Amino acid sequence: MAPILCTNCKTERALIKRPKNHKKLCRSCFLTVFEDEVHHTITSSGLFYPGEKVAIGASGGKDSTVLASVLKTLNERHNYGLDLVLLSIDEGIKGYRDDSLETVKRNAVQYDMPLKVVGYDELYGWTMDQVVETIGKKGNCTYCGVFRRQALDRGAKMLGIKHVVTGHNADDVAETILMNLLRGDLARLSRSTSIVTGDSRSEVKRSKPLKYSYEKEIVLYAHHKKLDYFSTECIYSPEAFRGSARSLIKNLEKVRPSAILDIVRSGEDMARLVPVENSSSCACKGTGRSATPVAGDDENIGGCGSQNGRSSGGEMAAMEQELKDNEAHKELEIDVANTMPATKAELKEKLLELPIRSGPRNSKAVSRQVLGTCERCGYMSSQAICQACMLLEGLNKNRPQIQI
Amino acid sequence: MSNKMEEGQLTPPPPQPSSVSVSKRCKKCSVQEATLDSRGAPVCRGCFVKFINTKCVKQVAILGKETSRLITPRDGGVRRYLVGLSMGGVSSTVLVQLLNENVEFQLAKGRNAPFELVFVYVDPHTSLTLQPSSELSSVVGGSIKVEERLRGFRERYPRSEFKRVPLAAALRLRTVDWSSLIPPAGANGGSGGTDEEKKLQQVFDNLPSATSRTDMIRLLTRHVLLNEAREEGCQALLLGSTTTALAELTLAETAKGRGFSLPWLINDGSFPITHHQDPIADTTADAPPTPPTPDGTTADNTTTDAPTTAPNGTTTNITTNSPTVTEDGKGVGGETSSTSMLVYHPLRDLLRKELVTYASLVSPPLTDLLLSDFSSLQSGGAVVSHKNLSIEEVMFRYFEEVEQNYPSVVANVARTTGKLLRLEEDAEKNGRCGVCSMPLDELGDERWRGEIGDPVGDEGGGGGGGGGKGRLCYGCERSIHG
Repeated sequence: MAPILCTNCKTERALIKRPKNHKKLCRSCFLTVFEDEVHHTITSSGLFYPGEKVAIGASGGKDSTVLASVLKTLNERHNYGLDLVLLSIDEGIKGYRDDSLETVKRNAVQYDMPLKVVGYDELYGWTMDQVVETIGKKGNCTYCGVFRRQALDRGAKMLGIKHVVTGHNADDVAETILMNLLRGDLARLSRSTSIVTGDSRSEVKRSKPLKYSYEKEIVLYAHHKKLDYFSTECIYSPEAFRGSARSLIKNLEKVRPSAILDIVRSGEDMARLVPVENSSSCACKGTGRSATPVAGDDENIGGCGSQNGRSSGGEMAAMEQELKDNEAHKELEIDVANTMPATKAELKEKLLELPIRSGPRNSKAVSRQVLGTCERCGYMSSQAICQACMLLEGLNKNRPQIQI
Repeated sequence: MSNKMEEGQLTPPPPQPSSVSVSKRCKKCSVQEATLDSRGAPVCRGCFVKFINTKCVKQVAILGKETSRLITPRDGGVRRYLVGLSMGGVSSTVLVQLLNENVEFQLAKGRNAPFELVFVYVDPHTSLTLQPSSELSSVVGGSIKVEERLRGFRERYPRSEFKRVPLAAALRLRTVDWSSLIPPAGANGGSGGTDEEKKLQQVFDNLPSATSRTDMIRLLTRHVLLNEAREEGCQALLLGSTTTALAELTLAETAKGRGFSLPWLINDGSFPITHHQDPIADTTADAPPTPPTPDGTTADNTTTDAPTTAPNGTTTNITTNSPTVTEDGKGVGGETSSTSMLVYHPLRDLLRKELVTYASLVSPPLTDLLLSDFSSLQSGGAVVSHKNLSIEEVMFRYFEEVEQNYPSVVANVARTTGKLLRLEEDAEKNGRCGVCSMPLDELGDERWRGEIGDPVGDEGGGGGGGGGKGRLCYGCERSIHG
């Protein structure tokens, strides 16, 4: 039987069946197509400007390694004129981070990029190992995630860089969308789909150039490009929990490969449907069409790269309880419910009469974040005290007395 | 079961309300002995049934207010609702029971019946030989059984009408732009009659996957139901979707790239109906306007009654563009070819598992009307191949599990999705999708193609991009052309 030829170049033998659309491609065509698609994302969203200094959030894992490799390739091929820097966070997890940091160090040499490593200990006075010692394994990913997000921003600031790119892929974004639907969190749903986060007022903006790249293709790319990456999962993250949304997405992908991208598309469309409180506080003007930055999707989107967007079973149980309580309270107001149909109908009529054709039209709006700065550390935060400082306060209170 | 269970993602289940001890009193009436669990509270049989009833009645009351402006003395002041019936499914069967109870209750009090009910089962099986195992083909099992079941319904609920309409009836509708589904060249000859069945089979044969076929069945079923509701002179179409089903629908439609359509699918309210002018519909419209009765599929008295029971003046001719009962003048600025129909989900506040319990509690139990293995057919057994599985089935399995441990989370999904806005301005600007009637988003589609770097015509084989003239939304494009 004759070997199947690549559908793209029609000369080489097809070696790869693209997970995205099941097209059969040869090795070099696959690599080119993958790079071209990322290039497309970068140019159509206008992610960079010539001469921009960009920090790549590098964990040593497949996503960030592929991101660094692709950005280097594209920067040279298409003359982006970018000044690329690797930025790595040392959470202080023995047996996980020290090994992956070695990978990042090798990457820095391989890609000829400067590397900056920022440690949790120097930023917060706590390593993750110490955090786990204090609070146990449960829920520590929250700490890690909150600390890391700030760490990347702070590290970038130290380097005088205003743009951090992360290796979030399409699977991550799709997962976050489903998770926010399950959580019933429309505000975060509308924010999480944006390719650029952090608005003009924040000092560091974030973007995800791999937003439309399938995780499986990232793995394939790393494999066929023979990239040097670190594949062990964080030793604290397993706790047997793989993420409700995660496994659902994997099942959906099996049924219809395009499902991941379709979810991303749905998420972007739904972001436009989320009622907005007042458009003036929203940098994206409610359209979500261009890559205008929106306020960062900060709190609780999970921990480390491999854990991003996942919610633990514990969180789900907690939410179940909370919703149940709310429901119980609502039941007590049963008399009010009698008048509800009337008000509901009236409300609907009112809504119909509103002449506004775009922007806010619902009184039950979802509040957007208003960015300010943290009272303690001066860092950007929507609350008076940023999440990292809140968590630190709790940690410091419980710091074992033995540590003199 | 599927591997999602092995992965044990929903790790610690919440403290399940301990199986109600025998001696406990009902938390609601404090009189009867509690034998059941209702959302964490021990309740007696009577209070459980009442709870289910109240939840439904509340929604029907909202609908009653909404339809009051549509009722004219000409209609005799009587509301008329069309209800979608899924043969053997628990939700719609319970809805039949609850709505009829409501009618009986009012009649027993010496009042007029609050509404007339027409139940319609849209039957995909008269014409379609679906892929084995995957779709619901095996669920209903043959047309004889369907007739038997319908008889069961008619005997138990003599005041309501029960109809069966073949899915192929959709081919006669102008609310679907058939040019995007049937390749114009491939239209082989005649129209009407059993050719329709063949034509429908052809449409389904052209679809790329089990998900697409399930998707299309759902879309076409809705078209048929909306049309039936119109022809029957009904003010609203009621669907039996539970909160669990709505949550499933939310995530399934999201996974199919139809996130934008959720405000219309999950919320109650008017659903857009668009009429398309195209040659194929013209030829098929030559068929008699009243549904013919091929091989006796609709051969029951309700069919013959239908045209006469349609209240005066309500047009039954599908080809007409004149506005019918619920033309939404405000929403669609003067477009004569657009109308709408109210779509309501009276069971939206109830979980599927609660209805399963309820079905066994009413007397006589509804079990005879239910297909005992309806749900097990969808969820049971290990997944042998994902190829023949549809996204809907994946969601069904997923939520079956979530509903068990986190019912409030499930309820919250539908509630939250209900807050999303309907962007009607898109429809005014770009028109509507020829298949699902949702507003088109041309700018969005163009930007999307750019962002994912998908050159036009990338799809290569199969559907032949841009073949049909009809304009499709992202979700329908995906379903039809893969």
